[in-house]
Amino acid sequence: MPSPGWQRFKRGPGWILLGAVVVALMAIGLAQNSDVLSPEERIEAISKRLACPICDGESVFESRNNASESLRNEIRAQVDAGVASDDQIITFIEQRYGAQVLLVPRADGVDALVWILPVVALVCGVAGLAFAFRRWKRAGGDVPTDDDRALVAEARRAGLDDDPPTDRPTTADRSATTDAAESGEGDGDGS
Amino acid sequence: MSDVVSDGVVPARPRRVAPFIALAVALVLAALFVVLAGSSPAGDNQVQSFLIGRPAPRVVSTTLDDQPFDLSRRKGSWVVLNFFDPTCVPCVDEHPELITFDEQQSGIPDGAELYTIINRGSAESVQAFFDANGGEWPVVRDPDGGVSVDFGVAQVPETWIIDPNGVVRARYAGPITAERVAQDLQAFREGRA
Repeated sequence: MPSPGWQRFKRGPGWILLGAVVVALMAIGLAQNSDVLSPEERIEAISKRLACPICDGESVFESRNNASESLRNEIRAQVDAGVASDDQIITFIEQRYGAQVLLVPRADGVDALVWILPVVALVCGVAGLAFAFRRWKRAGGDVPTDDDRALVAEARRAGLDDDPPTDRPTTADRSATTDAAESGEGDGDGS
Repeated sequence: MSDVVSDGVVPARPRRVAPFIALAVALVLAALFVVLAGSSPAGDNQVQSFLIGRPAPRVVSTTLDDQPFDLSRRKGSWVVLNFFDPTCVPCVDEHPELITFDEQQSGIPDGAELYTIINRGSAESVQAFFDANGGEWPVVRDPDGGVSVDFGVAQVPETWIIDPNGVVRARYAGPITAERVAQDLQAFREGRA
Protein backbone atom coordinates (compact mmCIF):
# COMPACT_ATOMS: atom_id res chain seq x y z
CA MET A 1 0.00 0.00 0.00
CA PRO A 2 1.66 3.26 -1.14
CA SER A 3 2.01 5.87 1.55
CA PRO A 4 0.42 9.31 1.13
CA GLY A 5 3.92 10.76 0.90
CA TRP A 6 4.64 8.56 -2.07
CA GLN A 7 1.37 9.66 -3.68
CA ARG A 8 2.31 13.30 -3.26
CA PHE A 9 5.79 12.63 -4.68
CA LYS A 10 4.25 10.96 -7.69
CA ARG A 11 2.11 14.01 -8.41
CA GLY A 12 4.66 16.82 -8.05
CA PRO A 13 8.42 16.26 -7.82
CA GLY A 14 8.17 12.87 -9.54
CA TRP A 15 7.12 14.43 -12.81
CA ILE A 16 9.84 17.04 -12.58
CA LEU A 17 12.44 14.34 -11.94
CA LEU A 18 11.15 12.35 -14.90
CA GLY A 19 11.37 15.44 -17.11
CA ALA A 20 14.94 16.08 -15.98
CA VAL A 21 15.95 12.49 -16.78
CA VAL A 22 14.40 12.72 -20.27
CA VAL A 23 16.16 15.99 -21.02
CA ALA A 24 19.47 14.58 -19.79
CA LEU A 25 19.14 11.46 -21.94
CA MET A 26 18.26 13.53 -25.02
CA ALA A 27 21.26 15.77 -24.40
CA ILE A 28 23.53 12.71 -24.18
CA GLY A 29 22.03 11.32 -27.38
CA LEU A 30 22.56 14.56 -29.26
CA ALA A 31 26.11 14.88 -28.00
CA GLN A 32 26.95 11.38 -29.25
CA ASN A 33 25.38 12.18 -32.62
CA SER A 34 27.68 15.09 -33.29
CA ASP A 35 30.74 12.87 -33.66
CA VAL A 36 32.77 13.32 -36.83
CA LEU A 37 31.50 10.88 -39.44
CA SER A 38 33.55 9.00 -41.98
CA PRO A 39 32.73 9.64 -45.68
CA GLU A 40 30.91 6.29 -45.86
CA GLU A 41 28.78 7.20 -42.84
CA ARG A 42 28.00 10.59 -44.35
CA ILE A 43 26.94 9.04 -47.66
CA GLU A 44 24.74 6.59 -45.77
CA ALA A 45 23.23 9.31 -43.60
CA ILE A 46 22.46 11.58 -46.57
CA SER A 47 21.05 8.83 -48.76
CA LYS A 48 18.81 7.74 -45.89
CA ARG A 49 17.32 11.24 -45.77
CA LEU A 50 16.35 11.14 -49.45
CA ALA A 51 13.47 9.28 -51.04
CA CYS A 52 13.96 7.34 -54.23
CA PRO A 53 12.55 9.74 -56.84
CA ILE A 54 10.63 7.14 -58.86
CA CYS A 55 9.39 4.64 -56.31
CA ASP A 56 7.29 4.85 -53.16
CA GLY A 57 8.45 4.35 -49.62
CA GLU A 58 12.10 3.59 -50.26
CA SER A 59 15.09 5.69 -49.39
CA VAL A 60 17.90 6.30 -51.86
CA PHE A 61 20.05 4.25 -49.49
CA GLU A 62 18.06 1.05 -49.92
CA SER A 63 16.64 1.53 -53.41
CA ARG A 64 18.40 -0.38 -56.19
CA ASN A 65 17.09 1.42 -59.26
CA ASN A 66 18.93 3.55 -61.71
CA ALA A 67 17.81 6.95 -60.48
CA SER A 68 18.79 6.16 -56.89
CA GLU A 69 22.12 4.78 -58.01
CA SER A 70 22.82 8.01 -59.87
CA LEU A 71 21.91 9.95 -56.75
CA ARG A 72 24.23 7.82 -54.63
CA ASN A 73 27.03 8.49 -57.13
CA GLU A 74 26.34 12.19 -56.90
CA ILE A 75 26.30 12.13 -53.09
CA ARG A 76 29.57 10.20 -53.08
CA ALA A 77 31.16 12.67 -55.49
CA GLN A 78 30.10 15.65 -53.40
CA VAL A 79 31.12 14.03 -50.11
CA ASP A 80 34.51 13.09 -51.56
CA ALA A 81 34.95 16.63 -52.84
CA GLY A 82 34.53 17.67 -49.21
CA VAL A 83 33.12 21.11 -49.95
CA ALA A 84 29.39 20.87 -49.27
CA SER A 85 27.79 20.05 -45.93
CA ASP A 86 25.14 17.34 -45.66
CA ASP A 87 22.40 19.94 -45.78
CA GLN A 88 23.93 21.63 -48.81
CA ILE A 89 24.07 18.33 -50.69
CA ILE A 90 20.46 17.63 -49.81
CA THR A 91 19.44 21.12 -50.89
CA PHE A 92 21.29 20.63 -54.19
CA ILE A 93 19.31 17.47 -54.89
CA GLU A 94 16.03 18.92 -53.61
CA GLN A 95 16.34 21.90 -55.96
CA ARG A 96 16.63 19.57 -58.92
CA TYR A 97 14.22 16.79 -57.99
CA GLY A 98 11.67 18.72 -55.96
CA ALA A 99 10.67 18.55 -52.31
CA GLN A 100 9.17 15.06 -52.73
CA VAL A 101 12.67 13.56 -52.51
CA LEU A 102 12.96 14.68 -48.90
CA LEU A 103 12.07 11.81 -46.58
CA VAL A 104 11.96 14.26 -43.71
CA PRO A 105 9.92 17.21 -44.97
CA ARG A 106 11.01 20.73 -44.26
CA ALA A 107 9.03 22.78 -41.77
CA ASP A 108 8.09 25.76 -43.91
CA GLY A 109 5.29 26.69 -46.28
CA VAL A 110 2.54 24.16 -46.91
CA ASP A 111 4.98 21.39 -46.00
CA ALA A 112 4.87 22.63 -42.41
CA LEU A 113 1.37 21.11 -42.23
CA VAL A 114 2.88 17.62 -41.95
CA TRP A 115 4.53 18.72 -38.72
CA ILE A 116 1.69 20.83 -37.36
CA LEU A 117 -1.29 18.60 -38.10
CA PRO A 118 -0.19 15.62 -35.97
CA VAL A 119 0.44 17.96 -33.03
CA VAL A 120 -2.96 19.58 -33.53
CA ALA A 121 -4.58 16.15 -33.75
CA LEU A 122 -2.79 15.04 -30.58
CA VAL A 123 -3.81 18.16 -28.65
CA CYS A 124 -7.42 17.84 -29.86
CA GLY A 125 -7.46 14.16 -28.95
CA VAL A 126 -6.05 14.69 -25.46
CA ALA A 127 -8.36 17.63 -24.86
CA GLY A 128 -11.34 15.61 -26.07
CA LEU A 129 -10.41 12.69 -23.83
CA ALA A 130 -9.94 14.95 -20.82
CA PHE A 131 -13.29 16.52 -21.54
CA ALA A 132 -14.97 13.14 -21.86
CA PHE A 133 -13.35 11.78 -18.70
CA ARG A 134 -14.51 14.80 -16.77
CA ARG A 135 -18.06 14.30 -17.99
CA TRP A 136 -18.04 10.61 -17.16
CA LYS A 137 -16.70 11.35 -13.72
CA ARG A 138 -19.43 13.92 -13.15
CA ALA A 139 -22.11 11.59 -14.45
CA GLY A 140 -21.09 9.07 -11.78
CA GLY A 141 -19.33 5.79 -12.26
CA ASP A 142 -20.85 2.49 -13.26
CA VAL A 143 -20.49 1.09 -9.76
CA PRO A 144 -23.76 -0.73 -8.98
CA THR A 145 -25.69 0.59 -6.02
CA ASP A 146 -27.58 -1.57 -3.56
CA ASP A 147 -30.77 -0.70 -5.41
CA ASP A 148 -29.24 -2.06 -8.63
CA ARG A 149 -28.23 -5.31 -6.96
CA ALA A 150 -31.68 -5.75 -5.52
CA LEU A 151 -33.17 -5.12 -8.96
CA VAL A 152 -30.91 -7.72 -10.62
CA ALA A 153 -31.62 -10.26 -7.92
CA GLU A 154 -35.35 -9.77 -8.38
CA ALA A 155 -35.06 -10.04 -12.15
CA ARG A 156 -33.13 -13.29 -11.82
CA ARG A 157 -35.68 -14.73 -9.49
CA ALA A 158 -38.44 -13.78 -11.93
CA GLY A 159 -36.43 -15.22 -14.83
CA LEU A 160 -36.19 -18.58 -13.09
CA ASP A 161 -39.92 -18.75 -12.71
CA ASP A 162 -41.22 -17.66 -16.09
CA ASP A 163 -39.69 -16.96 -19.50
CA PRO A 164 -39.31 -14.80 -21.38
CA PRO A 165 -38.06 -12.51 -18.63
CA THR A 166 -40.15 -9.39 -18.77
CA ASP A 167 -37.60 -7.20 -17.05
CA ARG A 168 -34.99 -7.47 -19.79
CA PRO A 169 -34.78 -4.09 -21.47
CA THR A 170 -35.76 -3.95 -25.15
CA THR A 171 -33.91 -1.83 -27.69
CA ALA A 172 -36.29 1.02 -27.14
CA ASP A 173 -35.77 0.78 -23.39
CA ARG A 174 -32.05 0.79 -23.87
CA SER A 175 -31.99 3.95 -25.99
CA ALA A 176 -34.24 5.63 -23.47
CA THR A 177 -31.75 4.62 -20.81
CA THR A 178 -28.89 6.11 -22.81
CA ASP A 179 -30.75 9.39 -23.10
CA ALA A 180 -31.37 9.37 -19.40
CA ALA A 181 -27.70 8.65 -18.69
CA GLU A 182 -26.64 11.52 -20.87
CA SER A 183 -28.95 13.91 -19.13
CA GLY A 184 -27.23 12.94 -15.93
CA GLU A 185 -30.00 11.12 -14.13
CA GLY A 186 -29.46 7.52 -15.16
CA ASP A 187 -27.78 5.23 -12.71
CA GLY A 188 -28.39 1.75 -13.98
CA ASP A 189 -30.88 0.22 -16.36
CA GLY A 190 -33.78 -0.10 -14.06
CA SER A 191 -34.61 3.54 -13.47
CA MET B 1 -24.28 15.21 -9.90
CA SER B 2 -26.96 12.78 -10.95
CA ASP B 3 -29.71 14.88 -9.36
CA VAL B 4 -28.80 18.24 -10.89
CA VAL B 5 -30.63 17.57 -14.12
CA SER B 6 -33.68 15.71 -13.05
CA ASP B 7 -36.44 16.05 -15.59
CA GLY B 8 -34.87 14.84 -18.85
CA VAL B 9 -33.46 18.21 -19.93
CA VAL B 10 -30.96 17.51 -22.72
CA PRO B 11 -27.70 19.26 -21.89
CA ALA B 12 -26.73 21.90 -24.42
CA ARG B 13 -23.01 21.15 -24.43
CA PRO B 14 -22.82 18.38 -27.11
CA ARG B 15 -24.92 20.51 -29.45
CA ARG B 16 -22.42 23.33 -29.21
CA VAL B 17 -19.36 21.16 -29.84
CA ALA B 18 -20.55 19.40 -32.99
CA PRO B 19 -20.78 22.47 -35.25
CA PHE B 20 -17.21 23.40 -34.40
CA ILE B 21 -15.97 19.93 -35.31
CA ALA B 22 -17.93 20.09 -38.54
CA LEU B 23 -16.48 23.52 -39.26
CA ALA B 24 -12.93 22.26 -38.66
CA VAL B 25 -13.45 19.33 -41.02
CA ALA B 26 -14.98 21.65 -43.62
CA LEU B 27 -11.99 24.01 -43.36
CA VAL B 28 -9.52 21.17 -43.87
CA LEU B 29 -11.48 19.94 -46.91
CA ALA B 30 -11.62 23.47 -48.32
CA ALA B 31 -7.86 23.89 -47.85
CA LEU B 32 -7.27 20.56 -49.59
CA PHE B 33 -9.47 21.67 -52.47
CA VAL B 34 -7.56 24.94 -52.84
CA VAL B 35 -4.21 23.15 -52.81
CA LEU B 36 -5.31 20.59 -55.39
CA ALA B 37 -6.98 23.19 -57.61
CA GLY B 38 -3.83 25.30 -57.53
CA SER B 39 -1.50 22.50 -58.64
CA SER B 40 -0.56 22.23 -62.27
CA PRO B 41 -2.81 20.15 -64.49
CA ALA B 42 -1.60 16.68 -65.37
CA GLY B 43 -2.19 17.08 -69.09
CA ASP B 44 0.72 19.37 -69.85
CA ASN B 45 4.09 17.69 -69.62
CA GLN B 46 6.07 20.92 -69.70
CA VAL B 47 7.15 21.00 -66.08
CA GLN B 48 8.86 23.36 -63.72
CA SER B 49 12.46 23.12 -62.73
CA PHE B 50 14.75 25.08 -60.52
CA LEU B 51 17.09 25.27 -63.53
CA ILE B 52 14.74 27.12 -65.87
CA GLY B 53 16.20 30.59 -66.45
CA ARG B 54 19.56 29.49 -65.08
CA PRO B 55 22.73 28.36 -66.84
CA ALA B 56 22.59 24.72 -67.84
CA PRO B 57 24.65 22.30 -65.73
CA ARG B 58 28.03 21.25 -67.00
CA VAL B 59 27.87 18.33 -69.41
CA VAL B 60 31.29 17.04 -70.38
CA SER B 61 31.38 13.53 -71.74
CA THR B 62 31.88 11.52 -74.89
CA THR B 63 29.51 10.44 -77.61
CA LEU B 64 28.94 6.87 -78.76
CA ASP B 65 31.30 7.69 -81.67
CA ASP B 66 33.92 8.54 -79.02
CA GLN B 67 33.86 12.20 -79.87
CA PRO B 68 34.23 14.63 -76.96
CA PHE B 69 31.05 16.47 -75.98
CA ASP B 70 30.95 19.66 -73.95
CA LEU B 71 27.60 21.42 -73.64
CA SER B 72 29.24 24.78 -72.90
CA ARG B 73 30.87 24.64 -76.36
CA ARG B 74 27.46 24.46 -78.00
CA LYS B 75 26.74 28.08 -77.06
CA GLY B 76 25.51 30.06 -80.03
CA SER B 77 22.97 27.44 -81.03
CA TRP B 78 19.74 26.15 -79.57
CA VAL B 79 20.28 22.75 -77.96
CA VAL B 80 17.67 20.11 -77.22
CA LEU B 81 18.71 17.33 -74.84
CA ASN B 82 16.69 14.13 -74.75
CA PHE B 83 17.27 11.74 -71.84
CA PHE B 84 16.75 8.27 -73.20
CA ASP B 85 16.87 4.60 -72.32
CA PRO B 86 16.34 1.90 -74.97
CA THR B 87 14.53 -0.33 -72.43
CA CYS B 88 11.90 2.31 -71.63
CA VAL B 89 8.68 1.93 -73.61
CA PRO B 90 7.64 5.63 -73.68
CA CYS B 91 11.16 6.48 -74.93
CA VAL B 92 10.80 3.97 -77.75
CA ASP B 93 7.32 5.31 -78.57
CA GLU B 94 8.67 8.86 -78.60
CA HIS B 95 11.52 8.07 -80.98
CA PRO B 96 9.68 8.74 -84.29
CA GLU B 97 8.74 12.20 -82.98
CA LEU B 98 12.40 12.93 -82.28
CA ILE B 99 13.31 11.85 -85.81
CA THR B 100 10.65 14.20 -87.21
CA PHE B 101 11.89 16.99 -84.96
CA ASP B 102 15.52 16.50 -85.93
CA GLU B 103 14.74 16.47 -89.67
CA GLN B 104 12.60 19.56 -89.35
CA GLN B 105 15.18 21.51 -87.30
CA SER B 106 18.05 20.70 -89.66
CA GLY B 107 15.93 22.11 -92.49
CA ILE B 108 15.46 25.58 -90.96
CA PRO B 109 17.97 28.38 -90.24
CA ASP B 110 19.05 28.49 -86.60
CA GLY B 111 17.60 25.00 -86.12
CA ALA B 112 18.18 23.32 -82.77
CA GLU B 113 20.85 20.67 -82.25
CA LEU B 114 19.44 17.47 -80.79
CA TYR B 115 21.45 15.26 -78.44
CA THR B 116 20.38 12.07 -76.76
CA ILE B 117 21.77 11.40 -73.29
CA ILE B 118 21.94 7.80 -72.15
CA ASN B 119 22.51 6.62 -68.63
CA ARG B 120 21.60 2.97 -68.57
CA GLY B 121 22.01 0.52 -71.41
CA SER B 122 25.25 -0.53 -73.00
CA ALA B 123 26.65 1.39 -75.93
CA GLU B 124 25.98 -1.60 -78.19
CA SER B 125 22.29 -1.85 -77.35
CA VAL B 126 21.76 1.89 -77.84
CA GLN B 127 23.69 1.85 -81.09
CA ALA B 128 21.65 -1.13 -82.22
CA PHE B 129 18.43 0.72 -81.36
CA PHE B 130 19.48 3.78 -83.38
CA ASP B 131 20.64 1.60 -86.28
CA ALA B 132 17.29 -0.16 -86.32
CA ASN B 133 15.00 2.79 -85.70
CA GLY B 134 16.85 5.68 -87.27
CA GLY B 135 18.23 8.87 -85.75
CA GLU B 136 21.36 10.60 -86.98
CA TRP B 137 22.04 12.89 -84.06
CA PRO B 138 24.85 12.33 -81.52
CA VAL B 139 24.30 10.13 -78.45
CA VAL B 140 26.11 11.29 -75.31
CA ARG B 141 27.16 8.93 -72.53
CA ASP B 142 26.33 9.57 -68.87
CA PRO B 143 27.92 6.53 -67.23
CA ASP B 144 27.60 7.51 -63.56
CA GLY B 145 24.28 9.33 -63.95
CA GLY B 146 25.86 12.67 -63.07
CA VAL B 147 24.16 14.51 -65.92
CA SER B 148 20.77 13.10 -64.94
CA VAL B 149 21.26 14.19 -61.35
CA ASP B 150 22.47 17.67 -62.35
CA PHE B 151 19.30 18.13 -64.39
CA GLY B 152 17.12 16.34 -61.82
CA VAL B 153 15.95 13.70 -64.27
CA ALA B 154 14.45 10.81 -62.36
CA GLN B 155 12.47 9.11 -65.07
CA VAL B 156 13.14 9.02 -68.80
CA PRO B 157 12.17 10.30 -71.27
CA GLU B 158 12.80 13.94 -70.52
CA THR B 159 13.51 16.71 -72.98
CA TRP B 160 15.19 20.02 -72.27
CA ILE B 161 15.63 23.17 -74.33
CA ILE B 162 18.79 25.23 -73.81
CA ASP B 163 19.16 28.58 -75.52
CA PRO B 164 22.24 29.95 -77.37
CA ASN B 165 23.41 31.63 -74.15
CA GLY B 166 23.50 28.27 -72.42
CA VAL B 167 20.43 29.07 -70.31
CA VAL B 168 17.81 26.41 -69.63
CA ARG B 169 14.48 27.43 -71.15
CA ALA B 170 12.10 24.46 -70.95
CA ARG B 171 11.73 21.00 -69.52
CA TYR B 172 9.33 18.29 -70.66
CA ALA B 173 8.75 15.19 -68.54
CA GLY B 174 7.44 12.24 -70.52
CA PRO B 175 7.13 11.78 -74.27
CA ILE B 176 7.05 14.92 -76.42
CA THR B 177 5.73 15.59 -79.89
CA ALA B 178 7.87 17.21 -82.57
CA GLU B 179 5.20 19.81 -83.17
CA ARG B 180 4.99 20.94 -79.55
CA VAL B 181 8.72 21.33 -79.01
CA ALA B 182 9.19 23.04 -82.41
CA GLN B 183 6.40 25.50 -81.58
CA ASP B 184 7.86 26.31 -78.16
CA LEU B 185 11.32 26.70 -79.68
CA GLN B 186 9.97 29.12 -82.28
CA ALA B 187 8.26 31.10 -79.54
CA PHE B 188 11.54 31.31 -77.62
CA ARG B 189 13.43 32.41 -80.74
CA GLU B 190 10.97 35.19 -81.38
CA GLY B 191 11.08 36.21 -77.76
CA ARG B 192 7.39 35.41 -77.24
CA ALA B 193 7.89 33.15 -74.31
